[in-house]
Amino acid sequence: MISFLILIGIVICFSAILALALNFQWGLGGMVNFGLTGFYALGAYSSALLMLKAGANTFVAALGAMAIVAAVCGLVAFVTLRVTEEDYFAIVTLGVGEMLRLVALNEDWLTKGALGLTGVPRPFGAAIPPQYYQYFLLALAMTLLLATLWFLGRLARSPFGRLVRAVREDDVVAATLGKNVLWVRVRIFAIGGAIIGLAGSLHGFYYQYIDPTQFSNIVIAYAFMAVIAGGRGAHRGAILGAAIVMLLLEGSRFLKDVIPALDSDRLAAIRVIMIGAGLILLLIYRPQGFFREYRLRADFK
Amino acid sequence: MLQTAFNGVVTGVIMALPALAVTLLFGVLKFPNFAVGAMMTVAAYLAFALNAQLGWPLAAATVAAAVAMGALCIGIDQLTFRPLRERGAITLMVASLGLGFILENVARFAYGNTARSFAIELARPFRFADVRMNHEQMITIAVSSAAMIAMWVLLTRLPMGRAMRAVADNPSLALVRGIESPRVIRWTWFLAGVLLALGGVLIGMDRALEPPMGSNYLISVFGAAILGGLGSPLGAFVGALVIGVVSELSTLVIAPNYRIGIPLLAIAVILVFRPQGLFGQPYIRR
Repeated sequence: MISFLILIGIVICFSAILALALNFQWGLGGMVNFGLTGFYALGAYSSALLMLKAGANTFVAALGAMAIVAAVCGLVAFVTLRVTEEDYFAIVTLGVGEMLRLVALNEDWLTKGALGLTGVPRPFGAAIPPQYYQYFLLALAMTLLLATLWFLGRLARSPFGRLVRAVREDDVVAATLGKNVLWVRVRIFAIGGAIIGLAGSLHGFYYQYIDPTQFSNIVIAYAFMAVIAGGRGAHRGAILGAAIVMLLLEGSRFLKDVIPALDSDRLAAIRVIMIGAGLILLLIYRPQGFFREYRLRADFK
Repeated sequence: MLQTAFNGVVTGVIMALPALAVTLLFGVLKFPNFAVGAMMTVAAYLAFALNAQLGWPLAAATVAAAVAMGALCIGIDQLTFRPLRERGAITLMVASLGLGFILENVARFAYGNTARSFAIELARPFRFADVRMNHEQMITIAVSSAAMIAMWVLLTRLPMGRAMRAVADNPSLALVRGIESPRVIRWTWFLAGVLLALGGVLIGMDRALEPPMGSNYLISVFGAAILGGLGSPLGAFVGALVIGVVSELSTLVIAPNYRIGIPLLAIAVILVFRPQGLFGQPYIRR
């Protein structure tokens, strides 16, 4: 039981990091990312391939994955937003995400296709005895989550964070004030991409095995749900949202014991229906989520 | 080569229906609707239930499914999109994504992941100048062309079509002129539902029925609509044909699995060189 809870804890940590990334891009920066799954897969595969093919150690591989996803995200944002508006951007991210997934599925020479990559190395995998390893991974994941939270918190309060919110609220005003809106958006998307890359690396460390089916579109639904439930723009909310979504998902495994007629396909379908319905209901009835975005307050004495 | 091009025309003609639905919905509601793929899936399964399970002829099943889907779309809009109408395009897009997940998985819940097909008789394909055309492809071309002509008449000749174009062009001006936008929005959804249902059935006939059948076409359909110019019905048709033919022909050069790259490439090229699309009006931000 304890080890089950620890494993859920690790899953919550990297889901929360992914939710934080989406929260930064969408909640704070106002840029929807419908290709999240593809970028997440890119992070996981880059990190795994850097270790398996290029022989990098885990630290370098994670950094490399962050850099690669950030570069791809930045490039997508730059190419698309140079000419158009957010409607098109959403469609392009969807397409690019799908494309990345197809590459993972079809480039057998690189990604072993549907078979997936096995034996992904873990940080200090050799040095720590296997029976203690899960505790270490939980500690590592929590440290990285807190570090991400701290970094994004600092960023949101910095002058750049104000600029990000200004662009989200009204890009014309920001442009009128002489800010380079395109460049701000490229940076928002790239920073979010780096964090997605980090979450992807952790995904690989945890499962030690990655294949394309782990990156179905459902990941997007979970992440959006986590961000909306937590409150757009509120970092702590995104973590809580991710925790709730993951607990619900893991908890819904036990539905099968209650209703024996459910096979695993149907159970999966019900989960996604729940998530989709929750998403729409929250958007309609509680668009601000359960946490508030950080706001500057003036103290009057 | 000729055969591949012909197959591309068929694919394009199928995609023209959902592309037109996307472009109508975008014109009136001003956000790209990511649920259209799943809506096609649901409609195709509705037709499947009537056709294969209740034994109706496919034509009757399709008409019934189309009307039902039109009504369902109006209901869905009232429940999900109407309360969010004033919240901006991004919120609506996210809601449509959630809606797509729901619809696709309702189909998965009911029929599972196994591929199914309509109960139609197999017939010998025609041959014409070395091009093999089967009956389904002929029916597809006929149905889609008829639907396109009907839509064109409706949009240009009938009062409701004019009202739809007016709302798409300038909502406030349309309001001032006494056009009831809720009524226009209901009609738009109904027509979109009918088009999506026809598209769904044709995809099911061309390939097979499975839960992701509609969303697999999502990017191609958006690509077609953007290439033609979002909001332009003629553009949607031309865009769909171009994307269909080029995608099929591209399989001669690149791996068929990457066919989806063609609409993506088309979006990129059109956005760089002609952001309003082939037939679209230059975009003026109000």
